[in-house]
Amino acid sequence: MQNDRRHHCSGPIYPTAFGRRSFIQAGLLGGMGLSLPDLLKIQARAGEVRPSTQALNRPEGPAKSVIQIILPGGLAHQESWDPKPEAPIEYRGPLGVVKTSIPGVVFSENLSRTAKIADKITVVRSITGHIPDHAQATYQMFTGYLPSPAIQHPSIGAIVSQNFGPRRDLPPYVGVPNVPSAGGTGYLSSKFGAFELGVNPVQKSFQVRDIALPKNITDERFTRRRTAREALEDHFREIEANPAELDTMDQFYQQAYKLISSPEAKKAFSLDGEPDSMTDLYGEYKRNGTGPVIPIGRQLMLARRLVEAGVRLVTVMYNGTDGWDNHTRIKESVGNGMPAFDHAFAGLITDLDQRGLLDSTLVMVTSEFGRSPKINETAGRDHWARVYSQVLAGGGIARGQIYGSSNATAAEPDRDPVTVENFLATVYHQLGINAEDRLLAPGGRPIDIVRDGRAVPGLIS
Amino acid sequence: MRPFRLFLILVAASAVALPTFAFAAKAPAPKRGLTPATPAGPLSFRLDVMPVFFRAGCNSGGCHGAAAGKDGFHLSLFGYDPAGDYYRLTQQIPGRRIDFAVPAQSLLLLKATGMVPHTGGRRFKPDSEYYKTLLRWIEEGAQDDKATVPQITGIALSPDKIVFNPKEKPRQLQVIAKYSDGATRTVNQLALYVTNNKTTADIDDKGMVTPGARGATFVFARFAKFTTGAEIIVLPAGKFAWPKLPENNYIDEVVDSRLKNLRIVPSALATDEQFLRRVSLDLVGLLPTPKEYDAFMKDRDPRKRARLVDRLLERPEFVDLWTTRWAEILKIRSDNNSSFGTDRKAASAYYDWIHDQLAKNTPLDQMVRAQIAGTGSNLRNPAVNLYTMLPAGQYDAKAVAQDISQVFTGVRVQCAQCHNHPFDRWTQEDYYGFVSFFTGVKRKVASEEREFYIYDDVNAAPAKHLLDGHPVPARFLGGDAPDVAGKDPRPALAEWLTSKDNKLFRENMANRIWYQFFGRGIVEPVDDVRISNPPSNRELIEALGQHLAGYGYDAKRLMRDICNSRTYQLSTVPNETNRDDDAQFSHQHLRRLRADVLLDSIDEVAGTSSSFGETPNGYRAAQLFEGVSRSNNYFLKTFGLCGRDSVNVSETRMEPTLAQALHLVSGDTVQTKLNRSEVVSEMLKDKRPPAAILDDLFIRAYSRRPSDPEKKKLMPLVAAKPNDRQTWDDIFWALLNSTEFEFNH
Repeated sequence: MQNDRRHHCSGPIYPTAFGRRSFIQAGLLGGMGLSLPDLLKIQARAGEVRPSTQALNRPEGPAKSVIQIILPGGLAHQESWDPKPEAPIEYRGPLGVVKTSIPGVVFSENLSRTAKIADKITVVRSITGHIPDHAQATYQMFTGYLPSPAIQHPSIGAIVSQNFGPRRDLPPYVGVPNVPSAGGTGYLSSKFGAFELGVNPVQKSFQVRDIALPKNITDERFTRRRTAREALEDHFREIEANPAELDTMDQFYQQAYKLISSPEAKKAFSLDGEPDSMTDLYGEYKRNGTGPVIPIGRQLMLARRLVEAGVRLVTVMYNGTDGWDNHTRIKESVGNGMPAFDHAFAGLITDLDQRGLLDSTLVMVTSEFGRSPKINETAGRDHWARVYSQVLAGGGIARGQIYGSSNATAAEPDRDPVTVENFLATVYHQLGINAEDRLLAPGGRPIDIVRDGRAVPGLIS
Repeated sequence: MRPFRLFLILVAASAVALPTFAFAAKAPAPKRGLTPATPAGPLSFRLDVMPVFFRAGCNSGGCHGAAAGKDGFHLSLFGYDPAGDYYRLTQQIPGRRIDFAVPAQSLLLLKATGMVPHTGGRRFKPDSEYYKTLLRWIEEGAQDDKATVPQITGIALSPDKIVFNPKEKPRQLQVIAKYSDGATRTVNQLALYVTNNKTTADIDDKGMVTPGARGATFVFARFAKFTTGAEIIVLPAGKFAWPKLPENNYIDEVVDSRLKNLRIVPSALATDEQFLRRVSLDLVGLLPTPKEYDAFMKDRDPRKRARLVDRLLERPEFVDLWTTRWAEILKIRSDNNSSFGTDRKAASAYYDWIHDQLAKNTPLDQMVRAQIAGTGSNLRNPAVNLYTMLPAGQYDAKAVAQDISQVFTGVRVQCAQCHNHPFDRWTQEDYYGFVSFFTGVKRKVASEEREFYIYDDVNAAPAKHLLDGHPVPARFLGGDAPDVAGKDPRPALAEWLTSKDNKLFRENMANRIWYQFFGRGIVEPVDDVRISNPPSNRELIEALGQHLAGYGYDAKRLMRDICNSRTYQLSTVPNETNRDDDAQFSHQHLRRLRADVLLDSIDEVAGTSSSFGETPNGYRAAQLFEGVSRSNNYFLKTFGLCGRDSVNVSETRMEPTLAQALHLVSGDTVQTKLNRSEVVSEMLKDKRPPAAILDDLFIRAYSRRPSDPEKKKLMPLVAAKPNDRQTWDDIFWALLNSTEFEFNH
């Protein structure tokens, strides 16, 4: 058998979200005989206990929206946010560095545009994870928990969706193009799940699929269709006695009708009217220079349009060109995928700031773990969870800060370690959600939104 | 799909289920105190002290039982490692946790009673018997047990079943622990209690059961590594008369006898129209055609339902649909140029092999044995692809063992990898013993790069126990260790697994079949069999298992019994007595169509076909040998066809989403089918009157004719332009977008 380095790990598997939930949780609480007063009687340690099926409409925090950028595979912190130019070559790696707008701070050479807006973001160089396994670490990145065979935890998107509900008739949680299974609703009702676009906005003429009526369907015909459907639903409702199923179906149809008939929504789910200057700002890169367009620029442009229009949390999945699980030839792999990200991310932060949206939009850049301190024999790096970097910006996060540090070989946290739980708790805090609150899972079991998660004061401005 | 309320309850493997378990802290001090395990002599660490940690929640997953302990102190989860716990208490930091000079000042006691700050708060009071037990043990020198301390061999509940009449008072359960020296001991004060459904029956921290709303549920007591349940039935008030009902076969007898005890009257029989549509979708994944509808409705034979079942069971589409269901839980999917034997050719060969077995109706046991015990080329003996598809990459004996246990017995042994299963009987010894059947499996590439040889290395070492690394020889789950020295252990495993006496296998296979016809298993979910997740009707699952085994594992015969039962043929419309029942099969339920069946149904109704990239024209979604993992079909993905990433049945998603609604409302699937469909244009060409066209469309989509109110609402929509294709397309659109179409009922 050929010894191919690619196969030393099974690689990230990202099936679509909402696995494992049989649909319709409505009536679940009732079925267990828990009335709301009962629930409130259950005393939580620090926070409060809330049911898992109903929307809550909570007051918002300083961050009104979140753009969650995921670089799946385990981005090397050395080849991005935390280079070690002084380390011996086998630790330092093949790439050079670039000075940032924060004096004395450098990023890896492919982040030259982001370096210029470093004064607007916070880089956490002391994230400490648990397990260098793609599936488990991804699950933890989205939920704050390690996977358990016994229960599925909700992702941050589902929790935001449950806490705040839709804004201006737009779905609260959107995946561009989708969210991994870790981004599902866990023990929460499936109605809090992500609206997944299914495809990336690659063309400028992009329009989210299925949101516009087919060309030959006039308003008159659409009305006729809806009228006919209502007649059929009325009949079924009368003969069948399972309102929960019908109500959930109906809820999604009403949402779909609203989206289809809302010009604002249609506009938000497209790149319509974005001037060329915006393309310049977010960048337009092609695979190998002439191949297909690398989607990240338009993904982030669309994400900005969505939060501007009212979406609360947009998950953007960006695989680079070679993925970020760079066991081999890290120089080339990072070199192929990173410049497009650098351009798009710097563009997004600049754009949000210019529009006055940065203070109310929290942008996160996360990868499930980092990579090993030493370059391996195939010129790549392997999985490493003991220390790595993640980025926060906007939404009340401090501007222009490097928080914490790794040691000289980027192998261990050196100063101010931040756990994955505390990182998530900080994001929740900015959203106005107390991560110590408990949600009621099936079985009447209250579970912390993030267990042992505390907001990190040093990250907040 | 419906909520599976009742049995989702005890899923908490890793945390303190705070509100469901009643804690000692709230309990008044018992009058007679805890009976020591050995009345004379000093207290035993294992028999007297460890149960206190268990009962007070100290060693639960949310507290010191967490893998890394809590706040610097670690106890093994639910006490699976007493020796380690003893060491950590007494020796890890000498003098810290136990104070021999002033026992009452031991940190252990100060923390547990909340006298010093303790994250877990006060677990019990200083005047409680739990406190007294710990104090006395420390006063006696905090000694470890002698080597010969008796083991707990099990627990029993008395009574093991309670039937409450309306307004009856609470009743006490006794928990009796049995020890290896023959002794027994009542441990009510040391056990933990939990109910599966608080509405029906609650249980307090002393084992007192309080009846609630009508229904049936289980309460459980846990002590040491044992969990045992008692069934609680709460009868409704008011008069009850059981109507005289026909019983078609043994299934109806056991279901009805259960319903009678619960004072539930089953729903009425479904109409011929409903039955025709339901059984066609369930057996062949297709809707009846207008021709089939007419023939069935005209048929006057009282045995016409049974004859329909017989016909459907012989259709080729039956084989397609059920092969796909197997392919999903066996994770049949490929990776091109794979270095792990998961090439496309292997995936296709494996799928075809299962297809062949089902077409020949090979007995289930034989089919399973061929896979588990197989050796040789994965292209010439495709059954061995069990060992390429389940690992889906590098071979890991533990992962394969877990998958095989889950797929063929429904037991999830993985909890026992790191600690004894908290809610079942499986220990780490069971786990590693089962893994040892698979530690010798090797894969070797053949001369052809896509071909792999699967064989067993008889010299391979057995799996090692996590705790101390001792090798654990191959042992059947909850059974014996076969003599397989110098042999491939898998044939012995295959024999044991598929033996007619193996309840685990026969009942899980029967339950998985049952699940396909009711949308829920008798044990639900079907792949999470454990003591704390008991069957909703034990006699039913036993009867089905016995019949399946008695039929020589002829799965079709069992399906025929199910489809011919009155229970399967009941209406979905509930009555006053069975409205809240979702576990006793007193009525059928609305069940959403699977993604592939839904797409095939749309094509069938519209007379169109879909294209899946690499397959020939005319292939149906239910025939895709790799499901959606390759075809990248937006419809199938969006409607939740499983990606075959895991063996979990729940990977097939049935919940509605916004993207699905949008796709049906304005997406290209429905619109393209409508554009291509010639169903309406043919009828218009034949100058069929509008009422006849409406009838035909309804029969295609719903297997029924429109009701009068529906006609009244729909006919005015077509009245203006009754010969206009667009008008009819809009009606057709509404049918394909309706809840009635998307569900089996």
